[in-house]
This record gives sequence, C-alpha cells and structure tokens, in this order.
Amino acid sequence: MKKKSFLFLLLVISYSLLVGTAQAATPTPVDKIQEIRNQLITNIASRVAQLKLVEKRGIIGKVTDVTNTQIVVTDLQNNTRFVDVDELTKFSSPTFKGTYGISDITKDTTIGVLGLYNKESRRILARFVNVITTPFITHGGVAKIDSENFSINITTEEGKQMSVDIEKLTRTYSYTQNSGYLRSGFSKIKENYNIIIGGVIDTKDKSKVIATRLIFFPEIPASPKVNSMLEHVQK
Amino acid sequence: MKKEKLILSFIATLFGLLVAGVLFYLFQATKTITPNNTKTISFVSPTPTSIPSVFLTVDRPKDEDVVTSKILVISGRSTSNAVIIIMTDSFEDVITPSGSGDFSTTVSINDGQNIVEIIAIAPNGESATIKKTVTYSQEEF
Repeated sequence: MKKKSFLFLLLVISYSLLVGTAQAATPTPVDKIQEIRNQLITNIASRVAQLKLVEKRGIIGKVTDVTNTQIVVTDLQNNTRFVDVDELTKFSSPTFKGTYGISDITKDTTIGVLGLYNKESRRILARFVNVITTPFITHGGVAKIDSENFSINITTEEGKQMSVDIEKLTRTYSYTQNSGYLRSGFSKIKENYNIIIGGVIDTKDKSKVIATRLIFFPEIPASPKVNSMLEHVQK
Repeated sequence: MKKEKLILSFIATLFGLLVAGVLFYLFQATKTITPNNTKTISFVSPTPTSIPSVFLTVDRPKDEDVVTSKILVISGRSTSNAVIIIMTDSFEDVITPSGSGDFSTTVSINDGQNIVEIIAIAPNGESATIKKTVTYSQEEF
C-alpha cells in the first residue's frame, strides 16, 4: 500500500514538473509583445544614435588637394577638412558651361560644400559642391586719402597696407552714437578713422580693393595696434 | 628572557638613531660652502599682458549650420559700450548691445553658403571678429 501511494505521489510530482516546463517553453502572447517591444526599443535607440552621429553641415574652403573620391580643403578657420564624394554628389560652378564634375575642381579653388558630417570620423560626405566667390571684408584705420582719385589707403589689423578704390556704386555709411547708422559720402572720411571695407580684390593688384560698401566711425579711432603703424605710414 | 632581549634591542636601536642624528647635525653645522658652489636664483615676475578692452561671443548661429529660412537670427554677447557690426554677402548693419552686453538682430541671407562676419569695436578702437558659415538649403538628403 505504502509502495503504491509513493508511486502515485512520484507520478503526480513528475507530471506537474513536465507541465510546468512545457508551459515555460511555449511563449504566451504577453511574452511575444514584450519581445517585439524590446526589439523596437533597440532599433529606435540605434537609429537615434545614428542620426545624432551624422548631421547636415555646410562649409566653405579653399581646395588643397583633390582625388576622385576626396577633396581636401582649408576652411575659414584654417582647419584642414576632408570631404568625401560619391556618385550622388552634385557639382556646379557659376562660370562653367556644361557638366561640371570633380575632375574640373583644381587646387586653390574656393568651394562651398553641403553634406552629411560624421561626428566620429569628422568627414563630410558631400551632397552638393559649388564653386563660389567669397566677399572680401577687411577692417583697419584710414592712413591716407586721395581725393583726386577717390581712393583711400588703409592699414589693417594685420599690418597690411591696402589701397581702396571708391566707386560711384560704393555704398558708404557712417556710424556715430547720436546719429546712428547713416548713409554718408567719400568727403566725410578723415584720416585715422576706424573703417570697415567690403568689396573685391583686384585680380591684377592684390593690395588693391574695389569697395562695394564701407562703414566708417568718426567717433572711434583706429585700434592702438593699427595707430602705431599709421603713424609710421603717415610719416 | 625573550622580553628582556626585545626591550634591549629596541633601546639599542633608539640609541643608535640618536647618535646618528647628532652626528649628522654636527656635520651639517660645520660644513662650509665655497662661493663657487653657490647659485643665485632670481625669480622674474612675468610681464602682464594687456587685457583686450573688447570681447565677443556669438551664440547664434552655430558655425556650419544649415538653415531653411532666409531670415537669420544673430545673437551673442560683447562689451556693453562696444559697437557691433554684422556683415553678410549682401547685408550690413550696425547695432549696440544692451547694458548687460547682450545683442540680437536678424539678417537676411542668400541661397547656398553665406559668410556672416560679426565685428565688435570698443571705443578705443580695439576690435574682435568672429566669422560663421551658414548655409541656406531646403534640399532633403
């Protein structure tokens, strides 16, 4: 009798164990939902990381080296930047008639690059590469005025001497504390005034600028650094 | 017996250290240094560099930003009595910062890459310049 009851008990225990493991092995709908949820979370997290790693950026730089798949440029902050190009990259130049491609880009050309910047590799995968001309802006003090030729000589912060041609189309402005920002004229410019010039550099003479706009400040003298150089020039 | 030996060795060590210390002190006190062996060390105070009278920080726009609007907000901080000049390819403006030095204005930009040059000039003529590249594009890629 004892033996029978023991066998019965053993049977019950093994059956319950079997059922238990079988249930654990078969996933319930709740488990499936949980699994899908976890997978989704992983996918979204990896996509977010990918999106954060790459961002749209636009740079301007001077070409220092060019190959079939890469352009090396020096940007405005004098940093070397690596630009990757692929079959999706579009090239353009305002002066070029016909199809413009990477083989047309030469050293010392100023280009604008719009593409995807990878924060990890610090490279830009270019989508658009355009040849551009950047405006020339300089700041300094008025060293000499040539009223006959409508030109002025300026000394920049870097100690450069430049001749600035003022044309009829040049937009001339002055700024004073009381009057504010006003349209002005060539005759109002005096020596030692602080001045900002915007224009284009003469292709024949690199020390000559053709001004398209200028702002001078009658109340602000040229910076002390420029002033010492101005005295030397005026002597 | 063992205890006595331990105490004795401890006292002997102490005594030895004391004698060595006294001898070292006497040696140092009697030592003479010839003028040839001496070196004069002079500390030159660093010459102070003049602090520039103007500073400039630009919070917006970020350099190399790609924007979808041709109206660009430019904001930052500078010396409160400075004059701020903003120049882009086709636009120029002169503004003055608030009493706390904050400034903000809007400028219009062209298609493609634009160079935004922000110049702060102090009343004594000193200046600070920051250049930012901002690209206007509505291309999707």
